[in-house]
Amino acid sequence: MITRRLALATPFALAATKALGDTPSPICMVMNSAGASVSTIDMNSRQVIATEPAYREPSHWALTPDRQTLYVCDASGNALFAFDPHTGSPRGHVKVADPYQLGYSPDQKYLLVNALRLDFVDVYDATTLALVKRFKPGQWPSHLDFSPDSRWSFSSLQKSDTLFSIDLTTMTPRWTVKIGDTPAGVLWLNGKLIVCIMGEDGIVEVDPTDGHITRRQKTGPGAHNVFLDEDNNILYVSNRGPGDTSLSALDPVTLEVKRTYAIQGGPDDIEIAPDGKIWIALRYAEAVAILDPASGNYDTIPVGRSPHGIYLSTCLDRKGKLTAEII
Amino acid sequence: MDRFLSNLAGYMDQYAVLPVLYHFHWMEWDDLAFDWCLVCLYGLLAVLVTYAICWPAEKLFPIERWNSQKAVLTDVFYTLLNRVGIIPIITFLLFYQAQSWFTGVLVEAGFIPPTLDELIPPLLYHPILTFFIYALILDFADYWRHRLSHSFRAWYALHALHHAQRQMSFWSDDRNHFFDDIISFLWFFAIGLVIGIPPLQFPLLILLLRFIESFSHANIKLSFGPLEYVLVSPRFHRLHHGLRAAGRVSCNYGGVFPFWDIIFRTADFSPVWMATGDAKAPEALATGSYLEQQICGAKMFFQALFAPKRPLGGGQPT
Repeated sequence: MITRRLALATPFALAATKALGDTPSPICMVMNSAGASVSTIDMNSRQVIATEPAYREPSHWALTPDRQTLYVCDASGNALFAFDPHTGSPRGHVKVADPYQLGYSPDQKYLLVNALRLDFVDVYDATTLALVKRFKPGQWPSHLDFSPDSRWSFSSLQKSDTLFSIDLTTMTPRWTVKIGDTPAGVLWLNGKLIVCIMGEDGIVEVDPTDGHITRRQKTGPGAHNVFLDEDNNILYVSNRGPGDTSLSALDPVTLEVKRTYAIQGGPDDIEIAPDGKIWIALRYAEAVAILDPASGNYDTIPVGRSPHGIYLSTCLDRKGKLTAEII
Repeated sequence: MDRFLSNLAGYMDQYAVLPVLYHFHWMEWDDLAFDWCLVCLYGLLAVLVTYAICWPAEKLFPIERWNSQKAVLTDVFYTLLNRVGIIPIITFLLFYQAQSWFTGVLVEAGFIPPTLDELIPPLLYHPILTFFIYALILDFADYWRHRLSHSFRAWYALHALHHAQRQMSFWSDDRNHFFDDIISFLWFFAIGLVIGIPPLQFPLLILLLRFIESFSHANIKLSFGPLEYVLVSPRFHRLHHGLRAAGRVSCNYGGVFPFWDIIFRTADFSPVWMATGDAKAPEALATGSYLEQQICGAKMFFQALFAPKRPLGGGQPT
């Protein structure tokens, strides 16, 4: 049950709303994992307008199927913090065991939660948040995605070096396969899965039917997470080191690296704004970078410590699958 | 300061730590490696700040002047090992693994453990207050850990290493036997299970508390006046390290706050500057090398456990 608190917008958020009449400014929200806070940035002014507390370690986010609530994971705080996805106003929290990464199945029936510290992959009823089934497939489940028909889910197991698949129609494990050294980001793409392999500097393409690897592509040191742009034209991979860190832009069909952007500060999650700018959480730099993909230049906005997940309210206008639903 | 250290920790992680993790196929620790770098950097900063303040103060207002400070060098090693070196990383890893395992057991039994700020909801919006409540609880727990370490013969056999130093200085806070450190770890692990993991988003405040603990050991002729009833001062803590207080009946056990000593009637605010040390401790505990101290402490511990009638370390029974 959601613990209700007064969902008061901060004075800054109200001021920003009034300044533009009744149309609120689009916002960016950043989960500061080591700062136990969520920063809200006015995307027009590029100013931090609010910083909301979490218990311990906010990491990733998901929008509820009706897109009326933004859930932010707080793993060691054992909670999902709820926010108004338009204004960033807090709306209390739900108690959930160790939510590190989460995603709703495309049919909106289930909420899948990877509990990294506790080694659980938990399936919750999307409406009631009642636990439907708990899987213990290996060590450190981190990132996840679904097949578009909602039959299967896929979780990378960071410490077991495996990828794990569940049949959500029968709630049974399908397969667990060795995929590479420290797998992280997972993305369903063109009937296959793309998985980032941090210990091997690149991505692998995996057949979702049995988990065997069909292709490999080097991107950069510590390939961590993978995102597809709205037009399905570019596949982005964040590379977190060792050494220099970067963002790679790939052709989603050939998987060929088209361009590599040198982004210092450990790029993690990204979101793409309607103007094409890429908003990037920089884990080591306490900042969000805003990258112009045409020029390769980027500006930074200081936020809290270890910014991890990043949300742009402009995604609410998007018709298709949201980025955070696939990371 | 925070941002500068974060950036520095980022560089340290990217160019020094991650290459090692990558080489040994340990990249799953990537997320936590950055936190380790921050812990080490803040630990180093704590040492530097403590040194910058305490060293000139010890030179200007010393309680004792020593011809040779060889014994202090061992304490420097303890400090670096405990605050900057491998000990924080090992402790962090052990705590992380143990805490995750135990939380998993509780969750599977249907209980999701709360944090203190979840139990007291208004605290969520007052994180600094939350931090200080955690600090108070942990200091209270430390008072009892410390007091009990003087109460049991075998435990004091380990803790005698901390008391054996006759040249007590700001470096002396971390001179502890490895087994004693393990007991402390288990003690605070148990507390963490009850009240949750303390918020760690205020490293500068943690640094401040650690500074107070180091400062209270300093060889500085300084009393806090009325503030001595609020924070542990060098004079207050020196009474705990005094020759007459070494052993199983002592006073002034508090680490940061003296409240617990006042409440439980173990406080001594006498306006004196005691000579420090433990007259019954073997010389190796006072002036030996790090290894000699550890071996001697272990021998005394096992002797106290298995031959309880023999005097500890060859000295008089305590």
